[in-house]
Formats: sequence, C-alpha cells, structure tokens
Amino acid sequence: MTGITFIVNMYMNAIVYVGCAVFALGFIYKVYCEYYKTPQPLKIPQTPQSTNLSGVIMRMAGDVLFFRSLSKGTTFLFITGWIFHFTFLLMIVRHLRYFIHPVPELITALGGAAMLLAGVLLVSLILLVIRRVLDERTAYVTSFADYLVLLVIIGIVFTGMLMRSEVYRPDIIAVNRFVLELFDIRAPLHMLGMHPAVAPGNVVFMCHLSLVCFLLMYFPFSKLMHSAGYFFSPTRNMVNNPRDVRHVNPWDNS
Amino acid sequence: MANDKTTDDSAQGDSNDANTRVQELIKYVKIKAKPVELTGEIKIPKIKPNSFIDVKPQLLTALEPLERLGYPVGGLVPNWKEVFLKKMDEILKKYRSVKLFLNICVRCGACTDKCHYFIGTADPNNMPVARAELMRKVYRRYFTWQGKLLGSKYVNGSDLSEELLAMWYTYFYQCSECRRCSVFCPYGIDTAEITMAAREILNSVGLVQKYVHEIIDKAQNIGNNLGMQKNAIINALEFVQDELQETTEIPDIRVPIDEEGADVLFVTPSADFFASPHIESLYGYAKVFHQAGISWTMSTHASEGGNFGLFIHNYGHMKKINKRIWEAARQLKVKRVIGGECGHMWRVLSSYSNTMFGPFDWLDSRFPRPQHICEFTLDLLKRGALKIDKTANDEFVVTMHDSCQVARGLEMGGTKYGQFEIPRGVIRGVCNRYEDMPDNTIKERTFCCGAGQGLLGDDMIATRVKGAIPRMQAYSYAKREKGVNFLALICAICKAQLSKMFPTYGIPMEEVGGIHQLVGRAIVLGAKEGI
Ligand code: SF4
Ligand code: SF4
Ligand code: SF4
Repeated sequence: MTGITFIVNMYMNAIVYVGCAVFALGFIYKVYCEYYKTPQPLKIPQTPQSTNLSGVIMRMAGDVLFFRSLSKGTTFLFITGWIFHFTFLLMIVRHLRYFIHPVPELITALGGAAMLLAGVLLVSLILLVIRRVLDERTAYVTSFADYLVLLVIIGIVFTGMLMRSEVYRPDIIAVNRFVLELFDIRAPLHMLGMHPAVAPGNVVFMCHLSLVCFLLMYFPFSKLMHSAGYFFSPTRNMVNNPRDVRHVNPWDNS
Repeated sequence: MANDKTTDDSAQGDSNDANTRVQELIKYVKIKAKPVELTGEIKIPKIKPNSFIDVKPQLLTALEPLERLGYPVGGLVPNWKEVFLKKMDEILKKYRSVKLFLNICVRCGACTDKCHYFIGTADPNNMPVARAELMRKVYRRYFTWQGKLLGSKYVNGSDLSEELLAMWYTYFYQCSECRRCSVFCPYGIDTAEITMAAREILNSVGLVQKYVHEIIDKAQNIGNNLGMQKNAIINALEFVQDELQETTEIPDIRVPIDEEGADVLFVTPSADFFASPHIESLYGYAKVFHQAGISWTMSTHASEGGNFGLFIHNYGHMKKINKRIWEAARQLKVKRVIGGECGHMWRVLSSYSNTMFGPFDWLDSRFPRPQHICEFTLDLLKRGALKIDKTANDEFVVTMHDSCQVARGLEMGGTKYGQFEIPRGVIRGVCNRYEDMPDNTIKERTFCCGAGQGLLGDDMIATRVKGAIPRMQAYSYAKREKGVNFLALICAICKAQLSKMFPTYGIPMEEVGGIHQLVGRAIVLGAKEGI
C-alpha cells in the first residue's frame, strides 16, 4: 500500500464514521433533548385539525407524503419540492443495494429508471435554486446556508450521475467490498490500528461520498432537521379536543 | 463595597445611554396611512424595504400598571442584554412551539405573501418568515453552539443591540398573531407563537407596549378591559335592559346581573355593553335567552370575556384574567358558562381554560365545558325553540368574516369545521340571503381584520388601515359581484376595527355588525310555542 492510498483510505474511513456518528448523535440529541423534552404548555392545533387521533395521523400523513399544507401556498414550490423529495427518497432507497444482500427485487427494478430519476432530481434541484434567486420575496430571506444545502445535494447527485458513465465508473465490486468492510464491527478498530478498509480508487466516488458525509454531519445543526421536527409541530400533532380532554401544562403547578 | 458602587454607577451610565438610544429609535410618531382604492382584487405587492419601519406603538410609561404587571419601570433596564437572554432562555425551555419553530424553518418562502400586513405595507419584514427571522437570528447567535463559537457573522445571526430591540418592537407589533401564515407553512410554523414570545421578552427588558398592557392590567385588577367599576357596569347593563324593554315593549325581558342560581353565566367582551355595533349583539343575546326561557346572568366580577393575556407568552397574566370567570361561575352557582361574540376570548375559554383550571365539571354534567353563543343559539334554532321571522333581515345580503382566532383554532360543536358551519348556520337560520366572500379569504384562510391581538389602539391606525386591505378587498368583491351589504362578525375587535375601516374605505359603517344583531332582529318575541 503506497502512502497516498493509505491516506486516502484513512480519510474515506474516517469521514464515513465521523459522518454517521455526528449524524446519529446530533439527530438523537435534537429530537430527544430539544423537541421531545421541551413541554408544550397549551393546545394550539390548527384548522383543519381532526378531533380524534386517527384523523390527526391522517392529516400528518397527508402533510408528510403529499405536502398538503404546502400545496395550499405556492403551486410551483409544491410541485418542485415534492418531486425533489420524492425522487431523492427513491435514490436513497436505490442505494440500499449496497447494504442489503441479496438485493430485493424492488430495488433492482428501480435500477432501470435510476438515471431518469436522477435527472429529474437534478432538474428539480436546479429549479429550486433558480426560484431562490428569482422570487424576490424568497430571495429576501434566503441565506448562504440555504444555497449551501442545495448545492451540496446538487454535487451529490451530479457526482452520482457521473459515475454511471463509462469513464468515471468505479469498480462496483470494490465499492461493495468497501461498504461491507466498513460495516464490519471491528472495522473502526482496524482503522485506528492503521488498517483502514480499502476504498475504491476513484476520485468521483471519493467526492460523492465526501459530500454525503458532509451533509450527514451538517444535518443535525441545520434546517434539515425539519424532517424530524415536523412530527413535533404542535399546530399539526395535537388533537383538536381541548374542551373534552384536558391538556395538562407540565410546568403549571398552581 | 465602594468599588461595587462605582461599577454600578458606570454601568448605569452606559445603560442610560442605551435607554435613551432605544427611546429615540422607537419614538412614537403619528403616521397617516392612506386607504387604497377598492378593486376587489388582492394584489401581492413588490417588496419595499423599510416602508413601514417608522410605525411603532406607544410605550406604557405609567408606573403603577407596570409595577402591578411586574415589568421594569423607567424604560430599558441597565443590564438588559442579560435579562433579555435569560427571558428568552426561559421561554425556549417552556414552549416547544417557540423552540421548534425557531429551529425548523427552511425559509421556503411559502408564507411570504400570506400576511395581511405584508400585503398592505409591502415591507419585507412583515413577511412572516422575515418577522420570525428577527428572533431566529438571535437564537442562532446565542442559543446554538455554532453561534456561540463562531459569532453572528457565520451563522447569519444578530448580536443584541438597541437597533435590534427597535426592530423587534416595530415588527412584533405589526403582527396580529392571526396564524394565517401557519396554514400554508409545510411544518405549521406559527409566527404568532414567536410574536408572543418576542413581546414578553421586550416586556422583560422594559419595553412594554401601552395598549395591550394597560388592558391586561385593567382586566386583572378591575375586572374588565375598559376599567369600569362595578356601579358603572350595573348602570350600563340597566340602560341596556331599559332600552330593550322599551323597544320590544316586553316588560319582563331582562339583562340580569350577579344573580345567584341562574342557569347560565354569560361572559362577553365589555365593549358589548355600549360600543356600537357591539351593543346590538347584546340585545340579541338577551332576546335569545328570554325567548328560550333560560335563566342567565352576567357577572360584575367576570365582567370581561376578552383575555389580552393571550397576546404575549406570559401565562400568568392570561391565567389571572381567566380565573375571574371561573370564580364567578362558582360564586353564582350556575350550571353552565356561555361566551359571547369574541375571537380571542373564545380561544382562551375553549382551548386554554381547561388546561389552566380544569373542566367546569362541577357544573351541569351535560355542559362541563364553556359553550359558544353560536352553539347555543343554533341548537335552539334547530329545535325550533325560537320563533324566527327571516324577512326582518330581507334588506340584507349577508356575508361572514371568519375571525382568525375562532377560524384557525378549535373545534366548535365537537367537529373540526364547526367553527365555520355553526356561525353560518345561525346566520342562515335568521336570514334569507347569505353569500360567502372568495374562498381564499374565508374559513381557515381568512384574513385578519387588521387590528387583532393588541393592534387596535389609536396609535396603530396606520397599521390598521393597511392591514385591513385584504379584508376590504374581499368584501368589496362580494359587494360588487353578489350584492352583499352586511358583514356579520363574531369578534369584538373585528367589530371595532371594521366599523372604523368601512367608512375609511368609503363603505357605510352600518354594513358591519354581529351575528346576534341579525338574530335579534329576526326573533319574534313573546310568541312562544314551547320547546
Ligand atoms: S412557510 Fe414555513 S418553512 Fe417556509 S419560510 Fe414560511 S415559516 Fe419557514
Ligand atoms: S400571524 Fe398573521 S399577522 Fe402574524 S405574521 Fe402570520 S399572517 Fe402575519
Ligand atoms: S380581531 Fe378578529 S380578525 Fe383580527 S385577529 Fe382577532 S379574531 Fe382575528
């Protein structure tokens, strides 16, 4: 193993572990300590909120799966945003083929459309960027962080697509082996013992993975937490029955 | 000790400067806003930065109310930054809504054109997300580790400064906490919660807005928003009773006061006692009770339905005001509690009262919860307990303004759309002709009247004129297209605001009134045919 491959391997191992660890711990911290633990003193559900729990769940499902609330606001953002989230989800599902063996049929089936989906994903992202620039009201509140997230994801999708071309295609067997090796429970120890899992020697792949890990690390400290935060949103997750069922304010003890 | 004193003094010196600076920045100037032409169309304006930055409400400076409310006297406190952050920390720990909403906004822009104040003023800081960002910037700087580590520049944050306070004071008093933005937000981010928190933080450092807090003080200590003493209330209500007896020629129609053992305790905003058009609804309520043959009483102890404590995240204020209703219900040994026409009062009574004091379960077990007068009246109408002559309202084509605090809040009648259907049901029960305004201006998408949640003061007239634009446009559309000539309301603030805005926009003031005003006109008294 030459020095440079060693360094690359160490780097690739380290970002994956750090990325996943920061993501997991940060995410759990945020959700548990900040969202879950903070009390909600009063009932503030919002119309159209159901008066029973199953209705509330249905409404939230509508929001999460079909962006119902957003669809009332701006059609363009709703459509582009939904396509972005949906295709992004499909791409993540598609990547499970590196982790699950044997690969489930559904995921293999996705493979046929993968390029098309990635293309749609990329276009939706670009539209979102353009919208941020051109819509004067959104532009007014947009900050660097908002572009950063979009650009990083664009980078991920772009490098991902690049790897499908003959020229940049990494050795798929090597990728698989790398992932499996990282999954080995002793792998972090190996890495610390200066025997990192061998990463495929492909620059595009390195960029792709680096960006993904960066996104993971960034995730818990950014607006991306909207993904988990939504479920704690009191205007959406409280049952609309304040007169029938007493909601207790945990810090009101008089 | 001596040392302490000198540092104290110098600190005092600095902060006095800070106080002078802030006072200069938020000085009240009288600003006139011109009404726009009514075309019936709600246009989203192009942004005009700082176009409404000069509009600020007056400060409360009277010592006694401030002391009673527990807020600093004499303007900005010397160590304001410390107090500010401590208060903000406290609220972040007590209110998940605030914490979460500061955390998860993605600045998608879906809410940017939804606020009536933005539509009216074109000031980009009146876009809900921009308003919330005023607080979010402080949050990122002082309450995230990135901000603590890197400083405001790299986290898009704000350091505390007198200018920031002035921005807060300006724009958190150009939000009527109407929650319209929240309907369209993909995560339900409720800017009202953030505004409430911001106002309490401003209070804690000594920037206390006059209108809201004067009223909170009066409601807590005297018992009603107008500060009427017991005998004044009795006089006012006796006058109402005399009027009623005279106009209806029915000698036994009454407005009972403090009558122990009555079936119903009726609470309503004190404005209903004599303001116009509010009082017309009071006649309506009395007629309904009379005709239904249900004994009722008003209370001098709980002489106010409204609860301005809701408008700021100071739970104690709200609770103290609400407590009066609870106490009165117990004292008077009533069987049920019914609330009159008022938006935020209804929100507190129905959503919060149960949390603060538990159910009224010592009342009649069939009515362990406060009821809305519209629930009550509609029930009577459905049972045929009221004789109605709809033709009495034939001169009107009625439309209804959904008051935000009712429309976007809670169930009424136990169903999720009850708050739309029940008031409309009452109107349809007493009028022949009813038309809705355009869809995007009613029900959960209703536009605020422009003066809700503490912006009804005369000092806020500029905000009021601009904030009323969407509602005025929607009404003029319905007027033009469907011949509507009466706007029915169920909120005292809406009534006060719109009866002033209608003439401002060139529409007769008489076209505004309460739902029970219509009921009162249509009800045929005396001719009872049994329940
Ligand atoms: S709609 Fe919600 S998430 Fe989007 S900018 Fe407004 S508050 Fe933020
Ligand atoms: S709560 Fe109402 S007034 Fe306040 S920002 Fe939202 S839409 Fe505007
Ligand atoms: S005054 Fe009426 S319209 Fe305005 S915020 Fe209150 S309930 Fe809504």
